[in-house]
Amino acid sequence: MATTPSPQDKVAWEPRDEMTVLNKDARRLDGPVKVTGRAVYPHDVRLPNMVYARLLVHPAPRSKLTRVDVEPARQVPGVVYAEVLKSGGEEVLYQGDDAVLAVVAAETPEAAEDGVRAVVVELEELWPPMVTPEQALADDSPKITENGNVVVAGTRGDQAEVEATLGRCDAVVEASYSLPVQHHACLETHGCVVDFDGEKATTYPSTQMVTGSTGMFARELGISRSDVRVLTPYMGGGFGAKFGIGKEGAVASEVAKALMRPVHLMLTRPQEFLMAGNRSGSKQVMKGGATKDGVFQALYVEADKHGGMGRGSLPTPPYIYDVASNASTIRQVHTATDANRAMRAPGHPQASFAMESMVDELSYAIGMDPVEFRKKNLSSEVYHRQLDRVAKEIGWAEHEHRTEPGKVDGNVRVGIGFGVSTWGSGGRPGCKCEVRIEADGSIRSSVGTQDLGTGSRTYVASIVAEEFGLELSQVEARIGDSDLPPSVGSGGSVTTGSLAPAVKDAAHNARVALCDKVAPVLECDPDELTWQGGKVYPTGEPDRALTWKEACATVGSDPLVAMGEFQPHLHQGRVHGAQAAKISVDTLTGEIKVLKMVTIQDQGIPLIRSALRSQINGGMVQALSYGLLEQRVHDADLGYMLTANLEDYKIAGVQEIPEMVAIIDDDDTRQTVCGMAEATCIPGHAAIANALYNACGVRIRDLPLSADRVVTELAKRI
Amino acid sequence: MTIDNSMQISFELNGSMRRARVEPHERLIDLLRDVLGETGTKEGCGEGECGACTVLVEGRAVNSCLFPAPEVEGLRVVTIEGLCGEGLQLSPVQAAFLEGGATQCGFCTPGMVVSTVALLGENPAPSASDIRNALTGNLCRCTGYVQIVEAIQSAAAKLSAGGEA
Repeated sequence: MATTPSPQDKVAWEPRDEMTVLNKDARRLDGPVKVTGRAVYPHDVRLPNMVYARLLVHPAPRSKLTRVDVEPARQVPGVVYAEVLKSGGEEVLYQGDDAVLAVVAAETPEAAEDGVRAVVVELEELWPPMVTPEQALADDSPKITENGNVVVAGTRGDQAEVEATLGRCDAVVEASYSLPVQHHACLETHGCVVDFDGEKATTYPSTQMVTGSTGMFARELGISRSDVRVLTPYMGGGFGAKFGIGKEGAVASEVAKALMRPVHLMLTRPQEFLMAGNRSGSKQVMKGGATKDGVFQALYVEADKHGGMGRGSLPTPPYIYDVASNASTIRQVHTATDANRAMRAPGHPQASFAMESMVDELSYAIGMDPVEFRKKNLSSEVYHRQLDRVAKEIGWAEHEHRTEPGKVDGNVRVGIGFGVSTWGSGGRPGCKCEVRIEADGSIRSSVGTQDLGTGSRTYVASIVAEEFGLELSQVEARIGDSDLPPSVGSGGSVTTGSLAPAVKDAAHNARVALCDKVAPVLECDPDELTWQGGKVYPTGEPDRALTWKEACATVGSDPLVAMGEFQPHLHQGRVHGAQAAKISVDTLTGEIKVLKMVTIQDQGIPLIRSALRSQINGGMVQALSYGLLEQRVHDADLGYMLTANLEDYKIAGVQEIPEMVAIIDDDDTRQTVCGMAEATCIPGHAAIANALYNACGVRIRDLPLSADRVVTELAKRI
Repeated sequence: MTIDNSMQISFELNGSMRRARVEPHERLIDLLRDVLGETGTKEGCGEGECGACTVLVEGRAVNSCLFPAPEVEGLRVVTIEGLCGEGLQLSPVQAAFLEGGATQCGFCTPGMVVSTVALLGENPAPSASDIRNALTGNLCRCTGYVQIVEAIQSAAAKLSAGGEA
C-alpha cells in the first residue's frame, strides 16, 4: 500500500486503487503442491499400522432384514474387523445412510472389499420402493416419515386476491416447471482417517468445517473436544455436502476405538451418490400475469420440494422479482431416498429456473424485450446495469429476434437468454486469526479454516502482505488444522465475509504493534509510518527506510504475535449477478450447443481476481451441466438408483464448455468483502432454457434440456 | 484352500526400476498408491470416467484404475510425481497450470497435468479441438475448465519455443 493511515484508526480496507496485492491476480499458495501431486488429501493419508475400512451399503431403498452375517467376511485373509451395523429383524427405512449394513476393515483396501463382498445379507425388499414423488403422493402409499409423505413448509399471500389480479392482466401464463435431483459430484468422495490412541485422536476428514469437526469426532469417540485434532490441509471439493462427518465418520471412529489402529474409510463413488447428499429436486406449478406496460402483476405458486428424507430447499416466490400480488404454498414431498444437503446456493437454482422461465414467458407473451421486462420488475439498479452489461457482451442488440422466437425450419437456429441471481453471503463471528512475526523477518498468518479450492488459503496470506507492503510470497499461510485459531465452516459463501475481516483485523493489530517497535528506531511517531515495497519509513521520507528484515529485527527474541477477530464493518452481505447464454439448436435433431456464456458478479472488494474468475467460470459450468446433463434416475419399480456412478450421471466435461466470459463487477464500489461463489451457479441453466425458446420457440419446462425433449417439442412446431 | 496367484513384476516408475509382487486382478492405481506410496495419483470414480487417476504408460495416458498392475511388467510408468525436474523444478505443463491459476480444489489436477503431458508429447502444437479431445476423459467440478485450457495453450506455446512437456 502506498500510504498508511494512522495505526490507531479503526481498521478499514485500503482504497482499491492503492492496493498492491489484493484486487489483483495472484498465484495460489497451494498451486505448487497441487500441480506436483504433493498435496496430501484425506484420501491420500497413509499412517503406520493403518487399516482400510469399507462399508456395505445395500442399494435397495426399503427392506426388512432377515440376516446380516459378517462371519464369512472375518474369514477373508487380511480382514481384521467385521461388524454388523444393522441386524436381521431391523428395517431399512430409506436408501442411503440408513442402508449401511456392515463395516469391514482389513490390512489392504482389496481385502476390505473382498470382506464386504463376503457378508451375507438376506432381506425382503418392500414395495412400493417410494423413490418417486408420484409414489409418495399416491393415496395408499406407506408413510415415509413420522409426519407423513407430504408436509406443508409454508404458505403466504391471498390466492383469491392473486386470481383477481390475474384477471386484470393482459397475459397470463400457466406452467409447471421441474428440476431433477442434482449431485454435488465432488471429485474426492466423503470420508476420513481416524487415528485414536484411547485418549486423543487425530482425524483427517474431507470436510468443509475443520474447527467444527472436532466436536463431531469427540462425540463419536467419547472424548473431550479438546482431545481431537482435525487436519485437513487439502480437500477435494465440497459444494455444501461436507459439513458433518457423516455415517462414514461415525463408523470410522467406531472401528478406530475397537482396533486402536488408524482407520482409513472413504466412500466409493456409488456410495457417494447413494448416501452423501444431493440438491433437492423441485416441481413448481405457476400462474403468472403481466400487463402490456411490462409490469409483472401477479404470481401464484404451488411448489413441491423433493429432498428425499430431507426438507428440500426453495426460497419463497417470487424470488428476486417484484411481484406485488403473490401467493404461494410450498410442500415437502418425501421419498425413501437420501436426504438433500446444502448444495451451492441451496434452493436458488431451482427457484431461478422456474421464475426466470416464467419471466421469460411473460415477456414474450406481451411482446416485450426480455431484458427490458426483467429490468422493469427488478427494483435494484444493480441488476439493471448488470443485465445491460451481459446483454452487450453476448450481442443482444445485434440479435435478430428479441421479442419473438426464431423459426423451426430444419436449420440450426441461434438464441440468447438471460437470468439474474442473488445470494445473502455475508459474514458472522467465529473466526480468529493469528499473525506472528519473527525477528528474522518471517511472517505467518494462521487460522483453522479450510480451502475448498476457493483461494481462502491465499488470501489468509495476501491480506497480511497488503498490510505490510510485502510480496504475497513473503507471508506464510497456515490453515486446515483445528489446533490453529478457530474458523467458521465454509458454506453459504460465508467464508470470505467471516474470515477475511478477522485476518485483516489481525494484520492491522500486528502492524500497530510493529509500528510501536519501529518508530523509536526511525525516531518518528508510530502513526506516521508508511509500509511499502518491503520497506517502512517515516511518511514522506523514503530515504530513511528500514528494510522489512531490519524492521522485524526490532521484535526481539520473542515473536510478535497479534490476534484478530471478525469485524462486522469490514464485510457486507448480499451479492447480485446476471448471466446470459447464447446457444445453437439443430431444429432437426434437437441438439443444443451452448456457444457462449457471460456472467457478471459483484462481491465488494475483489480479494483475488484470478480466483474470482475461476469461481465464476466454475459456477457457470455447474449451471450448464445441471441444465443439459445432470439427472438422478431411479428405477421406479425396483427402487434402485440407476445413475450411481459418473458414467450414467453425466457432468459437464471440457467438450461441453462454450466461450465463457467472467466479469467482476467493478462498478460495485462497496469497501467491504463478501463471498460470491454460490450466486454464480444460480441462473445459467435458466438462461440456456430461455435461449432455446428464443432460438426456436421451444419452451422446455423440465430439466435437463435433453435432445429427446427438445425434438419432441420441435415436432409440435412444424 | 488359498491359492497364491501373485506374481513378481519389475517396471520403471518415474525413472527408477521398481519391483513388486502383485495379484492378477490388482489395479495399477492400487499398486501406485497403496503399495508404492505414490498418492499424487487420485481415485475419483474407479471406473475410468473422471480421469483423476491418469498416468503415463510408455508415454500414453491411461486410467490407472482400469489398468491391470501386472501389465506394466517391463514398461515405463510416469506419474504426477515423476514430472518434476531436479529439486522439484516444475515441468512446463506444471508451471503453466500454476501460473494460469488452473487449480481449485486440485483433486483433478494430477490427472489433468498428466493428460496434458501425453497430449503435448504427441502433438506439441495442439489446436483447441485437440486439447478438448485430449481432456475429454478428465473431469473437473470446480474450475469450469477455462483456466485449464488456457494453461495448456500456454504450455504448448512454451513447448513450441523449445523444451520438454
